[in-house]
Amino acid sequence: MSTWLLPILFPIAAGIMVLALPGRAFAFGRLGGERKRLCIISGGLLVVTALLVLNALLATTAKDAPWIAFFLTRKLPIQFGFDGVGRIFAVMISIVMLLAGFYSFSYMKHEQHEKRYYGFFLVLYGMLNGLCFADNLMTFYLFYELMTITSMPLVLHMQTKEAVLAGLKYLFYSFCGAYMVLFGLFSLGRYCLSNTLTFGAGGILDLSIVEGHETLLLVTAFLMILGFSVKAGMFPLHAWLTKAHPAAPAPISAVLSGIVVKAGVFGIIRVVYYLFGTSFLAGTWVQYLWLALSMITIVMGSMLAYLEKGLKKRLAYSTISQVSYILFGLALMRQQAFTGAILHTVYHAFMKAALFLAAGAIIYQTGKKNVSELTGIGKQMPIVMWCYTIASLGLIGIPPASGFISKWHLALGALDFPIYPIGFAGVAALLVSALLTAGYLLPVTLRGFFAGSDFDYGALKQKEPSKFMTIPLFVLAAATMLLGMFPNGLISYVEKIAAAVLR
Amino acid sequence: MMRGNLFPSVLVFFPILTAFISYASGRKNKKVRDLIVQAAGITECLLFLAAAVFFEETQEMFFTWEGFAGLGMHLELDGFRVLYGLIAAFMWMMTALFSGEYFTHYRNRNRYYFFYLLTLGATVGVFLSSDLYTTFLFFELMSFTSYVWVAQDESKESLRAAATYLAVAVIGGLVMLMGLFLLYRTVGTLDMASLYEVCAACPDKRTVWAAGICLLFGFGAKAGAFPLHIWLPKAHPVAPAPASALLSGILTKSGIFGILVVSCNILCHNANWGVLILTLGVITMIAGAVLALLSVDLKRTLACSSMSQIGFILVGTGMLCILNGGGNGVLAAEIAARGTLLHMMNHSLIKLVLFMAAGVVFMNLHKLDLNEIRGFGRKKPLLHLAFLSGVLGIAGMPLFNGYISKTLLHESIIAAQELTLRAPISNWVGAAFPFGYGLNAFARFVTSPQMLSVIEWLFLISGGLTAAYMLKLYICLFWEKNKNAEEQARFDGMKRYMCPKSTFAVIGSAVLLPLLGLFPYLVTDKIGVFGESILHVVVDHERVSYFAAASLKGGLISLTIGFLVYFCIVRTFLMREEKESGEQMYVNRLPAWFDLENGVYRPLLLRVFPAVLGFICRIFDTLADGVLILFRKTVFRESPIPHEREEGTVFTDLAGSVCDLVHRALNRTVRRKHPKIRQHSYRHVIALKREEFRENNILIARSLSFGLLLFCAGFLFTVIYLLFRT
Repeated sequence: MSTWLLPILFPIAAGIMVLALPGRAFAFGRLGGERKRLCIISGGLLVVTALLVLNALLATTAKDAPWIAFFLTRKLPIQFGFDGVGRIFAVMISIVMLLAGFYSFSYMKHEQHEKRYYGFFLVLYGMLNGLCFADNLMTFYLFYELMTITSMPLVLHMQTKEAVLAGLKYLFYSFCGAYMVLFGLFSLGRYCLSNTLTFGAGGILDLSIVEGHETLLLVTAFLMILGFSVKAGMFPLHAWLTKAHPAAPAPISAVLSGIVVKAGVFGIIRVVYYLFGTSFLAGTWVQYLWLALSMITIVMGSMLAYLEKGLKKRLAYSTISQVSYILFGLALMRQQAFTGAILHTVYHAFMKAALFLAAGAIIYQTGKKNVSELTGIGKQMPIVMWCYTIASLGLIGIPPASGFISKWHLALGALDFPIYPIGFAGVAALLVSALLTAGYLLPVTLRGFFAGSDFDYGALKQKEPSKFMTIPLFVLAAATMLLGMFPNGLISYVEKIAAAVLR
Repeated sequence: MMRGNLFPSVLVFFPILTAFISYASGRKNKKVRDLIVQAAGITECLLFLAAAVFFEETQEMFFTWEGFAGLGMHLELDGFRVLYGLIAAFMWMMTALFSGEYFTHYRNRNRYYFFYLLTLGATVGVFLSSDLYTTFLFFELMSFTSYVWVAQDESKESLRAAATYLAVAVIGGLVMLMGLFLLYRTVGTLDMASLYEVCAACPDKRTVWAAGICLLFGFGAKAGAFPLHIWLPKAHPVAPAPASALLSGILTKSGIFGILVVSCNILCHNANWGVLILTLGVITMIAGAVLALLSVDLKRTLACSSMSQIGFILVGTGMLCILNGGGNGVLAAEIAARGTLLHMMNHSLIKLVLFMAAGVVFMNLHKLDLNEIRGFGRKKPLLHLAFLSGVLGIAGMPLFNGYISKTLLHESIIAAQELTLRAPISNWVGAAFPFGYGLNAFARFVTSPQMLSVIEWLFLISGGLTAAYMLKLYICLFWEKNKNAEEQARFDGMKRYMCPKSTFAVIGSAVLLPLLGLFPYLVTDKIGVFGESILHVVVDHERVSYFAAASLKGGLISLTIGFLVYFCIVRTFLMREEKESGEQMYVNRLPAWFDLENGVYRPLLLRVFPAVLGFICRIFDTLADGVLILFRKTVFRESPIPHEREEGTVFTDLAGSVCDLVHRALNRTVRRKHPKIRQHSYRHVIALKREEFRENNILIARSLSFGLLLFCAGFLFTVIYLLFRT
């Protein structure tokens, strides 16, 4: 029981403690000032949480029976379990949260209200863990909503007018999506095998009851997909991303893009593969519409990123496009495409986190936010820009960086699709988007390292940020390369899940 | 996990590791770094030499790193791969020796050397790869690392050229990836050795062809085949000379290597595929030669020449497919195979010499314009000899290496003519475009005996043009005098124009050219066998008598054409008398707008495509927010509450709005020239009028006369009523 609860409750309690205690409480002792104490304590709490997650990973197996915490209504329980997909997400979340947290120690130096920041950061971590452990739709929905609410203070942390508006937009879009999910939650229950809405690989619809109600269920499925896709940034409800990312502090942008957006993907995986089941959805209008929307988003995101001038906003558009790679892979409902989608979820989390952290390091050190101002930046911050470059190559899909591996699986899965033109169009969209990705990511590197012969090297100052910033970047960049070079362990793990959910 | 012999992997990873060592040492000591780079080049070359010496002709050596990047890394050493690896390593060694002096005054040398060695590893990886997945891995690495060469001096032109280079590489790479997807999905393997059988047996010819065309696009972009040659003439003049030598000598050949694999293993020598390659080859050959002839820049001429020579090689590849696909021409196919491989090798070596010679010129003068460097080579015998051997080699002078390969290619065209005289291509088994009949008619047209003799003449003319533009460079550099006598004196005074290491590099490479030309049987017969495994050609050791009258005739026709072109066109049409000095100057007759890159590709990809797609995407992007805004402006508009109305009523507002609208409309249309400007809107005015009216009413209602008036009216009505009642 405590295995499940501790990784969720501990960070939440710790976060509330950090929020509630007055600032003076962190100024005890002789070691450093208030700020340093706060960083050490939050860092320690983050590490402890990560260890608790690790413990949960080791102490449980995917086959363990779920643990029911309590019944929300007479039949609907709050219950926890830990299956393969949940494990992958838990590891990914912990890595990105830890690295972003450590990065913040340096980045947040110039910001106000740090106590609030770390408090909500910890609470968010707990909610995300709850998301991974959730074993039925009710529990998932609970933590999903709580995640939205607790991440909002982080998004509007800067408290500028722009940031507050972005935070509100984030909140409204998220709620709009959540209500569509809620509709599903209400209408789905009576068609399932058990009334508890417990996730089961391959779907839990009771086909004998479903007969005659297909239209209702298809509409429900589509609304739920659309609802979760708000977080995942799929056209047409993607607009919050491009407002929230530039307004949030860089580590939060990394968490948003790497993790929070993926929570939407996670929700869609749960709905499509663990509730409805692909045998019910494959070949219906829901699948085709979903495929079309994801393909539109893939190209749209890349194209707009290419036209965008601000670095962080450009990366936000890039997220829109890249996450739709994942959604496209999921929508195909083929084993290899599913594998590719899960791989891309993990890889994109690392790559995009690296890119946002690099962008943040640039903003922190130089204050430059536009791509056109970054000439010669590679000479000033070589480590940061090398990490940026490796992550970009991964995102474009240049082998052996990891993005290539996921794209390989996605594309082959797409060509495996029964209706050949759709698969072919999808691959074409992936490749056009890859070209645009090269077009919007590489110029930063190229202009950064190749400043031009008339560049004034005399005025150049070394601006490499502190270790707190470079080490997380380095780890993420290394992960981008290594996961691409040696992907087979992860691939075989994902393939097992794929075989289970796509029987 | 790793299996097989480690030796191939050492060949690939040794330079990659050394790259990091050289970078680290370069931060401390530049001399040591230079030595490390040169030692790495020499070691790599020696390793390949050892492989070549101790290698049996038919022996093969495999290395597999399972699970690397998913499908694994597969390397292989066989005759062809040893040969081409050796050439690559040799070129790297020579350019490394040459680079030391060339880069003395350059910035960012450490960066250059780092990517220089990385590219060596990647290039060797491409040539040693035994499945297309590994090829792709190294191919992409090579494209990206060689970007740094082109951009090295960071001038505006080099950055632009480098951007073009990278764009072509990225687009080519993506299209190639599409080809790999299609191929892997259709036949389920990318292993070169087994591709031939599975592709030949695959019933889905359409997809195999589509995959082949995608791969051709990707490899062709790197090879510099028309219409993707655009990076060649731009990148070479701006890249440092050692890098140009490698770009045109070996990187383009990696593209050719890919095209050979596609043609011989995936398309299995399909004759119609041969027609496709042949057509591209002929266009590339002619276009490159013409561009080279028109150019007045030393390195640009050499770059266009590379393009043209790639065309020659593609013609050979096309002929190889046509002859082999024809069934009857299997024996002749060997000639085409040998010619193709040999011309690849010869061109690599010749361009090494020529670009290093051009590097000597640039290193001393920092200029490449023919009018400015004119006369530089006078009184410099070593440079003269090296350049001359390059000129004679590439122009196809008998006793030099280029002659041998060109003769073989020429023979293959003649063989194809004989073959198609016997049976037209449409009768051949399995030779059909799976995409339509128009293309089949085109294939029949190209391979008709008449058209083949046209191609033969185009081939000879291209050879002639090669001789002509090389003669132009040679005479300009080594015989003519600079228009400026002082400048010429300065040139003549340059005795120490290259250091011993550079001299060794230039001369050492140049000596090979006549050697290979004098002893053709030593190399050519072996190369046929080398190609066997990769080209799937039956080898019969048929000897071509290179110095028989029939063979010499073709070479001599080319050279005659060359001299004619030089004296009739270059010295007249391509030169102009300068007014002041009366000197003959070289002029570029190519109009500036005649540029595929600036005229078509850049506007299309950078303007039209983003504008159109971007517009559509913007609409999509703002759709959700747009709908919200639309609702807020219309249905959910905050309407003013009635009692808060500042003035007037609903009716005055309505009337006023209508009047305002009419007023505005009139101002925009009828009274456009002299619009009436009103201080207040009609809404306000009418509201005021109403207020006035209302106040007047109140006043009137309250006055005595109004009471009297009403009394009178009432009285009147009463009287009338009474009257009518009765």
